[in-house]
Amino acid sequence: MEKDNLTPDESFDIINKAISNYKMNYKENSQVFLLWGWILTLASISTFILLKILSNWEAHELRLGKWELKGLFFLGNWIVFCSIGFIIMYFMVRKMKKNKKVYSHIDKFIDNLWWVIAPSFFIAIFISIKLEIAPPPLMLLIGGIATTTTGLAIKFKPLIFGGMSFFVFSIASTFFTNEYLALVVSAAIICGYLIPGYFLKAAKE
Amino acid sequence: MYTDLDPLLHSQLRLAIISMLVASDKVEFTHIQSETKAAAGNISIQIKKLEDAGYIKVEKTFKNNYPNTMISITKKGIEAFETYVNNLKKYINPKT
Repeated sequence: MEKDNLTPDESFDIINKAISNYKMNYKENSQVFLLWGWILTLASISTFILLKILSNWEAHELRLGKWELKGLFFLGNWIVFCSIGFIIMYFMVRKMKKNKKVYSHIDKFIDNLWWVIAPSFFIAIFISIKLEIAPPPLMLLIGGIATTTTGLAIKFKPLIFGGMSFFVFSIASTFFTNEYLALVVSAAIICGYLIPGYFLKAAKE
Repeated sequence: MYTDLDPLLHSQLRLAIISMLVASDKVEFTHIQSETKAAAGNISIQIKKLEDAGYIKVEKTFKNNYPNTMISITKKGIEAFETYVNNLKKYINPKT
């Protein structure tokens, strides 16, 4: 492949071929959505079960000195599941990078987006604790912004709709309290991460 | 009458490489090789020419304990590509 006396048409042909042969493959992103989809669904369902069990306990049994057991169990459950998620994700991303030969502008944009979103989740938890409000409405709103933007960037409709469903669940979550809020979160994760994740996995390259 | 086309880009292999880089943030050397079907030695020569002109940036790293070359386009490279495409349009449609 080498020719220096190109006609303008031949030049355009080379440019077109180089750009159109450049296949975007975002199927690998499905692994990340499925991982967090399952981790967060299991975390929210186990939170629901945990809170249901604790709701049968007597008030004095729910205190350990100055600590409220309900809050500790709730926080501990999420920390355990999210830690497992981060460990699995570390090895998953390492493996994905080993096989990656092309880094598109969109890849970089999505990476940057989620790097900004990740600390936003922690800030939202901090704000919620400080204001003594339930974190899910804020968390789902932030998750919705990131997921919908990712869907729009890779032009994948199930992810766009999945991300938008987070907005609906974010509003819906303000109408629920305690254990049932955990069920709303799990429904949001199933609609926003798991279903689009499986659609992405099944999508053609 | 027409602006001259950049001789550095007006070559089949170099134009294919630069077009590939315009469409992405970073590309591995092996990917360019598989897409262009050109010999590794030839690609290396063309990449060196583009790098010397400041059109591309070459990063040599290690991946799975093997040397890995990552190539990306520079701002100067993007500008050169845009000028090249604009000049090409003038050749095809001189009225523009």
